[in-house]
Amino acid sequence: MGFFSATIEITRQTLRQLLQNRMCLVVGFALVAIALIGYLLGGHPPRELKGSHLYALMAWWLLGTVLLPWTTLYFGVQAVHGDIEDRSFQYLFLRPVSRAAILLGKWLAVALLCSVMFTVGAVLLFFAFAARPELWPLGVETEMAVAFAEAMAWAAFAYASIAVLFAAKFQRPLVFGAFFIVGLQMFIGNMPAQAGIRVLTITDPLRRLLLDGIDPDPRLARVLWPSEREFKPDLIGHPLLNLSIIIAVTLVLALWFYTRSEYDSRSRE
Amino acid sequence: MSSQPPPLETQSSAPPSALLTFANVSKWYGQVSALMDISFAVRGEVVGLVGRNGAGKSTLMKLASGLLRPSEGQVLVCGDDASTARARAQLGFCPDLDRLYERQTGREFVAWMLRLHGASAAAARQRAGDVLQELGLGEHMHRRVCEYSKGMRQRVRLAQALAHSPKILLLDEPMTGLDPIARHELAQQIMTLARNGIGVLISSHVLHELEAMVNRVLLIHQGRLLAEGRVAELRGQLRGQPHRLRLISECPRDLAAALVPLSQVVGMQLSPNAVEVSLSGEPGFYGALTKIAAARDLVSEAVPLDDSLASVFGYLVG
Repeated sequence: MGFFSATIEITRQTLRQLLQNRMCLVVGFALVAIALIGYLLGGHPPRELKGSHLYALMAWWLLGTVLLPWTTLYFGVQAVHGDIEDRSFQYLFLRPVSRAAILLGKWLAVALLCSVMFTVGAVLLFFAFAARPELWPLGVETEMAVAFAEAMAWAAFAYASIAVLFAAKFQRPLVFGAFFIVGLQMFIGNMPAQAGIRVLTITDPLRRLLLDGIDPDPRLARVLWPSEREFKPDLIGHPLLNLSIIIAVTLVLALWFYTRSEYDSRSRE
Repeated sequence: MSSQPPPLETQSSAPPSALLTFANVSKWYGQVSALMDISFAVRGEVVGLVGRNGAGKSTLMKLASGLLRPSEGQVLVCGDDASTARARAQLGFCPDLDRLYERQTGREFVAWMLRLHGASAAAARQRAGDVLQELGLGEHMHRRVCEYSKGMRQRVRLAQALAHSPKILLLDEPMTGLDPIARHELAQQIMTLARNGIGVLISSHVLHELEAMVNRVLLIHQGRLLAEGRVAELRGQLRGQPHRLRLISECPRDLAAALVPLSQVVGMQLSPNAVEVSLSGEPGFYGALTKIAAARDLVSEAVPLDDSLASVFGYLVG
């Protein structure tokens, strides 16, 4: 079986398995619930906050910072490390397909599932606020939905690559994932806008991608990202390139570990 | 993708070269040595792998299947390094772990494995159904694996190993969880595979069942290959090892009296029509016994009590 065919077959099967996971249903309910909360909140908006502010706040903090990273990390770890932990990976490793195809197939499945779920979630939330015309004095800003949907899709692919790297390398990938999301990103990601080390996180290029896409007023920018007080448009740089580099580097590392590790050996314990 | 793999029955007769070769294979986990300098070959035959827990059987199986890489030496499957895709295409492995993809049906799981061997979707479904039918899971193949009994799960594991018609089959404790009838059927099937030129390496703790189906055994202990050969040959090689014999006699007391002077006899137990003797293993006993039998007609039959695989293994590993 060719590399491409094997990757697609693994993607298909992993997607089937993930869709049967109860967490999929839980996240689906959560996304609908967030949209409902958004709709209810839109009826009683905090003073001076427009529809775009409310939407950006909820989409970024609830979806982009909490739900998407954790969900993608969970699914990525389930798809890759779940097999390793219960040793059912043996059935796949015994087939005449490369381990690289197996890992890429699993990564693609997780990334596709999460990007679809959260793109739909972001659009759903947007519709919840768009249904309140009084929140949009200058008209509904549909470009916000497009920008957030794009950011969610990119974020899902990036977090999926982090998840498969940790799952391939570590025995406790969720712990390392938590450190990455809660510790590293919050610490480095909130450094001053000029700090070059911020490109090591996913939140930073995502934030710049959104700043480029939605062109927020200074107040919204400050509310969303307090560390961006000194932000200037020329600091946007190339967020998609940065995200692509993160995805590529983490995937290469994940492939390196996955193809070279003897997961059944005592040395790993 | 290629079409459905050929059924097992169409495999060619025994190939001239070895299907599985271990050449001076050693495996270390850090400072711990799991296998030391193992060399053997499997052709179109059934070879039993016997060893106590922790002896290195599973490590050997995983090296053979390419799941582990040897620290030293070479493992070849049909002439290819065991870690290559070509080798994996020729190999079926039934691991001893009781883990499967629980939410899939038995048929879906086996068909998926076949898809990764290059079978088309339709061919994989058809072949998976056929193999599961042969293994007695025909009625249950559409149920989810998580609903299966232990024996049914074992058959699914066997099915995934057999479905792509491998040339060499590795079975790690395959009898576990099977009822006596299924065990018998599996033993018959394994012997049929060997007759069709497929090499089978099978490990088991159910030694008497192995004995009935294997052509040769590999005795492994503490990571070393202790002995290799037919059970009877191995027993013959155990010179100097004590073993037991039942001598049928109408006058067991007289026979016991005649045996007492022999230095090779280290113990005796009388029964109404026989004497069970424990022998030191020193040569010369059978010559003396022949003389006793000829002179006084005291022995009607001599039955070795420990030619079984379990006894041989027991002697070898102490």
